[in-house]
Amino acid sequence: MPATSSPDDPLAGLHDALLAWLPSQRWFPAKGREIAGLRTVGHAVVSAPGESPTVEHAVIGVSFADASGGSAEERYQLVLGVQASPPADVEYAVIGRRDGDVVYDGLADGRISRLFLSLITENATRGPLRFVAEPDTEAPIVGPGRPLIGEQSNSSVIYGERAIMKLFRRATAGLNPDLELHRALRRQGSREVAPLLGAIEGELDGEPMTVAMLQGYASNSADGWSMAAASVRDLLAEADLRADEVGGDFAGEAHRIGKTVAAVHLELAAALGTQPLDARGASEIEAWMLERLDRAAAAVPGVAEQRDAIADVLRGVTAAEPSTLQRIHGDLHLGQELRTPTGWLVIDFEGEPSKPLADRVRPDSPMRDVAAMLRSFDYAAFHQLSEWEQSADDPDPQLERRAQEWADRNRSAFCDGYAEVSGTDPRDVPELLRAYELDKAVYEVLYETRNRPGWVSIPLRSMRRLLTPAGRGER
Amino acid sequence: MNEGVSASITAAPRDEGHVRDVTEDHGASAVEEPSADDFRHARTLPVDDEWYKRAVFYEVLVRAFADSNRDGFGDLSGLTDKLDYLAWLGVDCVWLPPFYDSPLRDGGYDIRDYRKVLPEFGTVADFVELLDQAHARGIRVITDLVMNHTSDQHHWFQESRRDPEGPYGDFYVWSDDDTRYSDARIIFVDTESSNWTYDSVRGQFYWHRFFSHQPDLNFDNPAVCEAMIDALRFWLDLGIDGFRLDAVPYLYERDGTNGENLPETHAFLKRCRKVVDDEYPGRVLLAEANQWPADVVEYFGDAEVGGDECHMAFHFPLMPRIFMAVRRESRFPISEILAQTPEIPHNAQWGIFLRNHDELTLEMVTDDERDYMYAEYAKDPRMKANIGIRRRLAPLLENDRNQLELFTALLLSLPGSPVLYYGDEIGMGDNIWLGDRDGVRSPMQWTPDRNAGFSTCDPGRLNLPIIMDPVYGYQAVNVEAQSNSTASLLHWNRRMIDIRKQHPAFGLGNFHELGGSNPSVLAYVREHVDAGGHRDLVLCVNNMSRFPQPVELDLIAWRDCVPTELTGGVPFPAIGELPYLLTLPGHGFYWFAIHEAEER
Repeated sequence: MPATSSPDDPLAGLHDALLAWLPSQRWFPAKGREIAGLRTVGHAVVSAPGESPTVEHAVIGVSFADASGGSAEERYQLVLGVQASPPADVEYAVIGRRDGDVVYDGLADGRISRLFLSLITENATRGPLRFVAEPDTEAPIVGPGRPLIGEQSNSSVIYGERAIMKLFRRATAGLNPDLELHRALRRQGSREVAPLLGAIEGELDGEPMTVAMLQGYASNSADGWSMAAASVRDLLAEADLRADEVGGDFAGEAHRIGKTVAAVHLELAAALGTQPLDARGASEIEAWMLERLDRAAAAVPGVAEQRDAIADVLRGVTAAEPSTLQRIHGDLHLGQELRTPTGWLVIDFEGEPSKPLADRVRPDSPMRDVAAMLRSFDYAAFHQLSEWEQSADDPDPQLERRAQEWADRNRSAFCDGYAEVSGTDPRDVPELLRAYELDKAVYEVLYETRNRPGWVSIPLRSMRRLLTPAGRGER
Repeated sequence: MNEGVSASITAAPRDEGHVRDVTEDHGASAVEEPSADDFRHARTLPVDDEWYKRAVFYEVLVRAFADSNRDGFGDLSGLTDKLDYLAWLGVDCVWLPPFYDSPLRDGGYDIRDYRKVLPEFGTVADFVELLDQAHARGIRVITDLVMNHTSDQHHWFQESRRDPEGPYGDFYVWSDDDTRYSDARIIFVDTESSNWTYDSVRGQFYWHRFFSHQPDLNFDNPAVCEAMIDALRFWLDLGIDGFRLDAVPYLYERDGTNGENLPETHAFLKRCRKVVDDEYPGRVLLAEANQWPADVVEYFGDAEVGGDECHMAFHFPLMPRIFMAVRRESRFPISEILAQTPEIPHNAQWGIFLRNHDELTLEMVTDDERDYMYAEYAKDPRMKANIGIRRRLAPLLENDRNQLELFTALLLSLPGSPVLYYGDEIGMGDNIWLGDRDGVRSPMQWTPDRNAGFSTCDPGRLNLPIIMDPVYGYQAVNVEAQSNSTASLLHWNRRMIDIRKQHPAFGLGNFHELGGSNPSVLAYVREHVDAGGHRDLVLCVNNMSRFPQPVELDLIAWRDCVPTELTGGVPFPAIGELPYLLTLPGHGFYWFAIHEAEER
């Protein structure tokens, strides 16, 4: 594992420590891949002279041994605290030593999270970093934050249950859609997202880069996935009750989620505009879908066998009624919805993480989000079957029928709620919806085959259902 | 006699001047009211400004509790005989629904005489004896006072209909037609089709928000306000500890309004409160206002001065939400209603309950939620009554001991003073075949003997039949049997009440919901710091699901502290840097005291 560094690199001497530290970070996705090199892409001191601890912001580039072509460098953001003897409670976050100082993950240090918050409220600029408070926001009471534990791809600190600051670990040039869309939704006075309070912006490759985002914190919330899972468990445990008879019925929540998603779509359209889905636009979308299909077909025989039938359904995009394109969430599922004591919030507008930024900000049909939600209800309904069935090789048709009943009931409640607010019933554009749903299912088959083979039967089953004419529509 | 209880049994000489002379020009219709000085007064308890915040209340239906004279009716003397049991259970305050003279067409809420006891229950002297004996045991007594309306047999009403020009002519709300106040909803939709009824004697319509035999008093008449305040004074002089003011939102009516929560109503309650504060410190007023919490807080009065209307009010919407949360296996029905509950003045307290003598009221849920509650908890249509469900706690929960314990633990730990309903501490059943709400008002089951030990009368004379079914019948479910088994529900309830009393945070502390990773788990802390700076911190974790659940709680604010489980005193692992992991059995719950690290 060679670390490449030049003498004037401020992180020189830390590279070996970083190479050891990175793979144990939850947000570092490339666990198990051999790192070929590490370099410092950007570096700035954030703290003022004399402030202790010293706070540094860095972007590092990591290249991998298995990358073909050599351009597959992935970039990550770091906030570093540097102090000769830091307090004991950041011990767990220590990365290494440099020139007699201890260097540690700065987000673990309450003094550093407090500094960031006060810089945001002051609209300060430190080196290349601009700390921005959203206009007309009530400044949160400045205090130390504490790291949120258990996060996947980013790192957040929580300020007294009032605000949450999310540091985007993946460094990408360009405005992060999460920040962009939250800003737009705040202008619309959206009550369906946690209000944006501020941001930290920097530069990468001469372009603006979103470093971090500060939002209101939804305390006492739970995500839609765990709530749906509790409901499904309640149903599957009652051999003789129907989905609408069990106590844990989720349809009321599904209906509210539908209303929430529709409201977000209306707000995004009002803030950022719409454009008609014309023949050219439709064929573009169709082309992306077919491209994704062929990638999946190449990897999964089950998809390859059905390739032409799937393609026929995907072409439904072009056959669909005239409809409009707009900015959408792009990666919606039950886990991206938070139940708070007063209603539902939609979170995380970064889009599908595997796609390049240009694709993630491209206007698309709101039916892509709707289809993604319908897929998520399917997942929620079927993911527990393996716990209840005697064995995976011996599927229990009764359980499957009941899981399907849960999915149908909640998908339809979601569509009802969506129609109530948007005025458009997704089931009135069955070809479009079916194309988006199948596109998503094909992607899921590929993803599960690679990452969670035990779950691949869920999207495969849906794929088969979507290819049967009887599987059309939700009514 | 308890220490600290002052004996002040006074037999004051009768003061003739106290009886108001309202005779003047209408001698025939004037009525002399008895005075409190005609009776002995009960000993009083020391004045304590916060007792109602810490108290465990217990609702007793006098008629159904104990019969001392073998007439088949429970009575005040019978209740006095059972005070030792209530003291043993840990009850701090007994709440008696109305025991006034009444034709009993609405369970005594149709009062015929504010200063007389229903003959079946006994006499005013019996009441004073009950009060005195209760105070001797440190137990307080409050009762209902219906201010909004009287029975149509009350002499005020009889005089009012007979003589429109007499002293009582303007005591009720009369009108030549039935068109005014049409925006007021009808409450008893099962029996009433209008809020107006024609009286053929007077030839006018009278206004009633409840049954047509309960005419509403006219509070726009100053004489009515005076008469009502004098009725309060009568019982306060005898030593009563407070009143639950029944149906308070409806005192006044105004065109173009729904006739609820009007400013005039609040002004009158402020007057009543001032009488209590000036003349009877330490006594309480409890509002029965079946309204949304945001409206109910108005009944606490001005928060700036700590509250200047009622000391307490029932939190109605919480109760159906507890049932819904457990059925849905989600904390959100409870979280939602608590998040919508405004702050209350610092001298105010909620009263919370699982069941009472009324149906499980569903007025404060949405239509969807009401359908859902019916479907889940009232599978037999006879169980529905008005807009609610008439079941006792145990049958509502299908006699599931785990759920009974979870519900009671919630009742004893959520913000507010808990109000237990007689018989629920032993898991009594109900009789859905009895009319109206009598199904949940059957006699208390004391022993496996004849009439369940409630009465030694001929069983045929019983006011209401004893529950006799094989599951909830008195031979299986009774106080005597459960007293003898420390594993019984009765002993469990007693232990939990006792634990609650050891921790002032339950009654006095603030409430903070913790959230947590699992939507089926409701977790919160109650925290109280007393005047001496001593901190009492209790963590409550409740599993709404019937399945075992894990939960990760963010307890970082109490890092290095040690949670000690309250029923057994077992210390749990100290709170560290990571989320605190707990596992709960289905419908399980924990109460922890959180001690500072140095207290270990």
